[in-house]
Amino acid sequence: MIRYLVEGIKRACGLHSPGRNLAILPDDIFLVSYPKSGNTWARFLIANFLYPGQHPDWGNIDRLIPAPEVMSKRDFEKMPRPRVIRTHDAFNPRYKQVIYIVRDPRDVALSQYHHHRKRKLIEDNHPFESFLPRFLAGETNVHGSWKQNVASWLAARNGDPKFLLLRYEDMLLDTPRELSRIGGFLGVEATPERLSMAIEHSSPKEMRRLEQVQADDCGLTKGTRQDLPFVRTAKSGNWRSDMPESSVAAIETAWGSLMQFLGYELAFGDQAGPVESAFPVSAMGGPLR
Amino acid sequence: MIYGVKRVTKYLLGIDIAGRDLAVYPDDTFIVSYPRSGNTWTRFLVANLIHSGQPVTFDNIERLIPDCEAQSSRYLKRVARPRIIKSHSYFDPRYPRVIYIVRDPRDVALSYYDFSRKYRHFDDSYPLQRYIEDFVAGRLLSADWGTWAENVASWAFARAARPGFLLLRYEDMQVRPEQELTRIAEFFGIDASPERLQTAIESSSAERMRKMERTQGKDWVSTKNKRDDIPFIRTAVAGGWKEKLPPESVAEIESAWGSIMAPLGYELVTQGVGRVEPPLAAAAGFVVGKQRE
Repeated sequence: MIRYLVEGIKRACGLHSPGRNLAILPDDIFLVSYPKSGNTWARFLIANFLYPGQHPDWGNIDRLIPAPEVMSKRDFEKMPRPRVIRTHDAFNPRYKQVIYIVRDPRDVALSQYHHHRKRKLIEDNHPFESFLPRFLAGETNVHGSWKQNVASWLAARNGDPKFLLLRYEDMLLDTPRELSRIGGFLGVEATPERLSMAIEHSSPKEMRRLEQVQADDCGLTKGTRQDLPFVRTAKSGNWRSDMPESSVAAIETAWGSLMQFLGYELAFGDQAGPVESAFPVSAMGGPLR
Repeated sequence: MIYGVKRVTKYLLGIDIAGRDLAVYPDDTFIVSYPRSGNTWTRFLVANLIHSGQPVTFDNIERLIPDCEAQSSRYLKRVARPRIIKSHSYFDPRYPRVIYIVRDPRDVALSYYDFSRKYRHFDDSYPLQRYIEDFVAGRLLSADWGTWAENVASWAFARAARPGFLLLRYEDMQVRPEQELTRIAEFFGIDASPERLQTAIESSSAERMRKMERTQGKDWVSTKNKRDDIPFIRTAVAGGWKEKLPPESVAEIESAWGSIMAPLGYELVTQGVGRVEPPLAAAAGFVVGKQRE
């Protein structure tokens, strides 16, 4: 009862997190990705690009580019517009302008495994092989499986001019190019100086340095194991060395055709199973590249 | 401010509409579709199949298969488990088991036009052709569920061929109700005799539902206080668009959504729109042709 009352008072004052009931404004821009797909890096890049004067760090990133599950309704109402809002939600038709970041699910699986260790959800000796089936089934977080999250967005929005699809791997490969695409989407001119400043201040090295001093200032890292970094390798293709072959095969069997659609080469070629991987590429305007 | 107080009070009393805030249990099954796609019919079919001992009516359907977008959180919490819940929501990763009904959007649009007039979203002077433009562009209240394509594609692509997801076409249910209801029964793990299937189908006939709407419509949450000169249970046929929808509107729908319609087996009549190569369409987990094997 007390709990309900406290919650009720919080709501009356706008101190609760709006979550999926966030009141959306027509010029809102959503930065969306499945968890562990480069969302935090993109957040730093965009924050440094849009608000260089605020010196984005782990202490203010939740305010600059907030998440509806973390910040309060009141915080959202006080933000300058246009707001950039980050979320891991599966498709939501209320989000009209969306930057969606996708990452190779083999790397996402590894990253999420280490993230769960950091958050003390699994032990260090927890075998990856027993984590993976839960990851494939979408049981390791509340945003659906990687495939469900990605497919729900692509199915509904791919090809829409208000939907910018980015691959984490491309962002690593040519950060200035991808960030200037983001700039174009946001309607902000990307001068070379502005780009390089934003990229420099969002480098893994800089993000790690800030993380070390500010881990307690950010909801993402607060209360988690400090011996494991939030900003991990910041690389692509770790699965090639760190993942058991059978696990690679299991991911490709499950999601192979969607991976190929996104341009992720399969290690086991076209042996990918036809069942869950079945994906109507044709209905989305053909492969990406 | 008053609005805020009302909301908080409703939340505290648990009488806020559940909607996307619904607490989902792992043994829940959802009957999902875009509005005007045969959801109510399916609800009656399923309820009559499962509760074969009692006649299902507009008076008890909310208890048997509640509508999570019309009932409160508190109401839904008290429904006996395992629950079967009706929803029009776009893809929700929390729904564990889903029967998704899809219907030809050309018929959906026509039906939605009548429904919106029944609900007094606009009056009879609003021209159909303009309605279709707004419907496709997502400028109407219907867009709260996403557009037709967004709703259908988000579910079909995310859950294609996954266990715990049953995709049905309204049109197939019309043509071969026994077969489709057998698939539903299998989905619920029910070994239904032909007689039981037949009884469920007869108890859910359009004629019987129309009769109930006339006698019980005033009390049912979905028809209460709505215009009673336009029925909720409308034609209950497939392909009405061929006669009633202007060619411009057909073209409008097909050019926007053809690429989703074609793999679902809806034949396009507009030249040069949404052509799909058969092998790719066949590879799609949700291709309905599979059911015809």
